[in-house]
Amino acid sequence: MQTFILGSYVLIWPLVSLAILAVIGVATWKDIQKARREKTELV
Amino acid sequence: MNKESFYQFSTLTVLALLVAFYGGTYLLTLLIKKKKENTDAFMVSNHQIGFGLGAASMTATWIWAASFYGAATSGYTYGISGPLHYGLWGALMILFIYPFGRRFRELAPNAHTLGELIHARHGSSSQLILASSNILGSIISLMVNFTASGALVSVLSPLSFQAGVVIAGVGVLSYTLWSGFRASVLTDFAQLMAMMAVAILIIPAVLFALGGPGTLSDGMSLLTPEQANLFSMDAILNQGAPFFVAVLAYAIGNQTISQRLFAVREDHIKPTFITATIGYGAIVIGLGMIGLMALMTGMEPIDGDMNNLIPQMVSMYLSPVFIGLFFILVIGSLSSTADSDLSAMSAIVMADVYGKNIAKNKPDPTKMLFIGRLTMIVATLIGVILASFSMDILIMLVFVGALWGAIVFPVIASCFWNRVTNAAFTSAVIAGLLMFCIARFELLPMVSVIPVLFELLAAVGGGVVLGLMAFGFGGRRVGMIVATIAAIALAFFCVGFLRDYTVLLASLMAYGVSTIVCVVVSLLSSSEFDFTQIDQKVINYDPVKPGVQA
Repeated sequence: MQTFILGSYVLIWPLVSLAILAVIGVATWKDIQKARREKTELV
Repeated sequence: MNKESFYQFSTLTVLALLVAFYGGTYLLTLLIKKKKENTDAFMVSNHQIGFGLGAASMTATWIWAASFYGAATSGYTYGISGPLHYGLWGALMILFIYPFGRRFRELAPNAHTLGELIHARHGSSSQLILASSNILGSIISLMVNFTASGALVSVLSPLSFQAGVVIAGVGVLSYTLWSGFRASVLTDFAQLMAMMAVAILIIPAVLFALGGPGTLSDGMSLLTPEQANLFSMDAILNQGAPFFVAVLAYAIGNQTISQRLFAVREDHIKPTFITATIGYGAIVIGLGMIGLMALMTGMEPIDGDMNNLIPQMVSMYLSPVFIGLFFILVIGSLSSTADSDLSAMSAIVMADVYGKNIAKNKPDPTKMLFIGRLTMIVATLIGVILASFSMDILIMLVFVGALWGAIVFPVIASCFWNRVTNAAFTSAVIAGLLMFCIARFELLPMVSVIPVLFELLAAVGGGVVLGLMAFGFGGRRVGMIVATIAAIALAFFCVGFLRDYTVLLASLMAYGVSTIVCVVVSLLSSSEFDFTQIDQKVINYDPVKPGVQA
């Protein structure tokens, strides 16, 4: 049980990072599409 | 330095990695480069940065080289709870500023720096206090990041420390100089994607190279009872609490954050900052776990230097490919923060110094851009020169955060309470700083009533910190109730106890003293400020509307 808890405690953070990576990636792709559609600059 | 203990890249390989990183980043900025940049866009893009780029930029900016080394040091020193007490509070700095950020945007939608808002509210002296503290923070940040580059390059290759410092300085300056903040935001995205991908790979790679979770379970016997305790008081008082105190101070004192608050689309501020909070926390706490794993395997840092922990673990347990990825991870983190610091300092000198105080709100846009770029060059030179001094990263963080503590209440109160005057702002900051220095450097003997007085002032400071946090999310009534209850409860616990924790005592005193002076001096005046004046005084500088294509 302790092994599982310790393993999860270490590995949960890369998993959360992966989720945030996906959220930011998708959101930025939408930002790019919106900028192209509205003919504005991304930054 | 015992270099034999680290994997060694050849000079050619490490130069190839650096050229690939900085060359690729520079090429990326060519996508947005314009022959004639707009001054407002140079400082805050178009005030319309989207959620994705905003969150990426905020996360990348807030993750600096010290984040990895500091979190790993905390994990190694305090055990199980160590990485949490570094990463969690660092993450909350991003979260707790956004309610105030929305107020800043409401008051001054065209602002480029928080100093401009304070200039419109109080005038030059208050603005320049804030601007100076922002510049001080960014210079220190630049120095720390360039130092980290020098240390990394010298540890992992035959190149010298100075070579690493200079390469980072020239590399960051090269891609930031022309387009300023716009380049910083765009490259932050690419750098963050790389950093996250590497962190996602490296953390489990180290764990399984050690032998998997079973090794950690076996290593529990190497931990002291305090290190094995998730609620370790040692970790809370020495690591967590000083960081918690600094949560609002860092956010207010750091122009890199307010620059993004003014750049992100107003309706995207909340999701942007919440996403950045989670992203920062996950990456930094995760990399802090490498320090914990080092502790649980009985590893000793080479030369007793905690900054060697992560490079040592990576060198010892992973293949050269992973070591190369780690190299990019650190270079990416320090570069993304350094380019943000350069953009922040250029905006402060352009807007706060030249725009408001020299050109009196009627600047020449061409000259303004020149001043911004010149600032970047000078700041890089200063950062590179200062990087030759070796300083403890963790202590620097707490010290600068506490200095900014004296500014927090006057800045926030000035944006919500119309009674705060310029005299109240200035005297509060000076009194807070003075008392912080007296307590921090023990300039008075801690005998008789002095320690009790200090502890009571610190209790007020603790109440102010918690009250402001509650105020940001729950409004004035909730804030006042939380502040009062917290101050009374802390007074009960602090007296006779807090004097042994000098950093925490001094940091809380900075908040307490500045708040008391600010409130008292404000109440002595009968003047009332009209907040609508701020929007009229804080303007865009360039006649061309920023960021919109013809």
